[in-house]
Amino acid sequence: MSALDILLVILRIAFGAFVPLSFVAVLVWMERRGAAFFQDRAGPNRCNVLGFRAGGLIQNAADGIKLAFKEDIVPGHVKHKFYFILAPMLVFITALLCFAVIPFADVLILGDKHYIMQAIPMDIGILWFLAVVGFGVYGIILAGWSSHNKYGVLGGLRAAAQVISYEIPMGLALVSLLAVYGTVNLTEMAQFQGRLLFGFIPMWGFVLQPLGVIIFIVAAFAETNRTPFDLAEGESEIVAGYHVEYSSMKFALFFMGEYVAMFVSSALIVTLYFGSYQIPWFTTETLVTYARPVVIAIMIGLPVIGYFFAEWMKRNNRSHYYRENDPRQKETAVYVALLWSLVAILEVVLLVYLVFAHGGVADRILVALLQIGTFLFKTFLMCFVYVWVRWTLPRFRYDQLQKIGWEKLLPLALLNIFITSAIIVSFG
Amino acid sequence: MSIKVRTVERKGRTFLEQLYLVEVIKGMTVTLGHFFRNLLDNSRLYVRHYPEVKPEITARWRGRHRLTRHEDGSVKCVACFMCQTNCPSNCIMIEAGERFDGKSEKMPTRFDIDLLECIYCGYCVEACPMDAIRMDTGIYSVTSYSRESMVLGLEDLLETPGAFAEEEYKKGGG
Repeated sequence: MSALDILLVILRIAFGAFVPLSFVAVLVWMERRGAAFFQDRAGPNRCNVLGFRAGGLIQNAADGIKLAFKEDIVPGHVKHKFYFILAPMLVFITALLCFAVIPFADVLILGDKHYIMQAIPMDIGILWFLAVVGFGVYGIILAGWSSHNKYGVLGGLRAAAQVISYEIPMGLALVSLLAVYGTVNLTEMAQFQGRLLFGFIPMWGFVLQPLGVIIFIVAAFAETNRTPFDLAEGESEIVAGYHVEYSSMKFALFFMGEYVAMFVSSALIVTLYFGSYQIPWFTTETLVTYARPVVIAIMIGLPVIGYFFAEWMKRNNRSHYYRENDPRQKETAVYVALLWSLVAILEVVLLVYLVFAHGGVADRILVALLQIGTFLFKTFLMCFVYVWVRWTLPRFRYDQLQKIGWEKLLPLALLNIFITSAIIVSFG
Repeated sequence: MSIKVRTVERKGRTFLEQLYLVEVIKGMTVTLGHFFRNLLDNSRLYVRHYPEVKPEITARWRGRHRLTRHEDGSVKCVACFMCQTNCPSNCIMIEAGERFDGKSEKMPTRFDIDLLECIYCGYCVEACPMDAIRMDTGIYSVTSYSRESMVLGLEDLLETPGAFAEEEYKKGGG
């Protein structure tokens, strides 16, 4: 193994481990501010460090510090302390492990070596995801059972029944998808989606599998225990379900696990159905060939985006009541300065690339970075859909949940398999 | 048949509604509209930035109590104990003393209101024959760091001014 190999292994694993973790902060923020805006409220906007509130992101730090310094209680009635402590770890680790197989950029070619851009470069791809994500629910069941609490047990049971019901439509939706792609390897699936249908429509999963994508997204919502399928928590019915007895960092692990799971399932939906890291109409090879025009386009686009973003900040980040020497406008001035210096740094880096490093390896790395950006952007949008759905739809009743799973999604998934295979056999 | 029977139309039984998805998307467009309206210009939020921007209190609002004075500055209260007798939560404690200014025979030497006991029902104001106790200070947020400071004495009650003009208060049905 050369030094480059080792560096890339470290980089990929770091990406697989830290990106979901840092997205937890972003997602919690998005959830709270998003919820507020959906309901015409303001959301957390008071927490600040020296007057800087970063649009509410400081609230996350405050919450994290609070949870870290709270007393870590294991209730006296808990008989199996080992399982009680194991449960939140299991939930969190399985959620994090799922991300390991998701490709975040196309295969990176440096010289004569090929690096698969997954944290764990494996061929089994989607099977790994199905295997590991099923384990996540063990954490919830274990938490519910070891809490020795009626609400906890009810929450755990609900989660178990729900995951069993929804893994079947999910798996069946995947079967027809696998028939289309002809592989279980996620990187190959992503490469497949770079092609064009009839020469002008990007061949993304949702174009080829319009029914499958609906079934899969619904099942994915159920898998991550998010509204409208959050019966395992159901705070209005069973207090907080499986994590009713948990406090401080053990609760925080459940909480973070939920958001990591949400991020990972968004990433998977994007990978399977929304073109993964592919920029529509620009395959990896096209991007590498036309690296220079692409960079020039980015260099022109950056200041434009920066200008609109700065205007938006100036309009919104001010006090909406009379205040002498409004401190929020000063805060905005600092943000705008930071934004423009970031844009300037990026422009300089891109210029240096254009003048000196153009061609060969640099092009490949640039394209990989572009694709990582695209992938994270798409995943971010999908996470927004999660938040959006959560603050729009009420929770299903338990029998409705099972009815939808077994009586609607399952036959639809089977129908989807028949249609897909008929089309593949007759045209493919 | 004297009872009127009204048949309520059942909704949610058509095929499109049974599909859920159409209705779900309809609902989601509504919320997304709200989201973008607020994201693009957050001065349109339907909320008040509370500690800085206070709500407007009407004259009818039953806020913290006060004791009123005559125009010459003497205490209106004649220590008749009507409010204390009428108080459902027993939060008023009056001690009467002799009065020498010729307005009446008695005046309170002590007039305590325990705000932790008070339920802000306004019965004391209604019972008062002298219009001596009112709840028109406009103070709606009564907070403190200790139990002791939640008990208001005669001086505190006399010191607090009313938040509204006399005509406005009378019009408000006080």
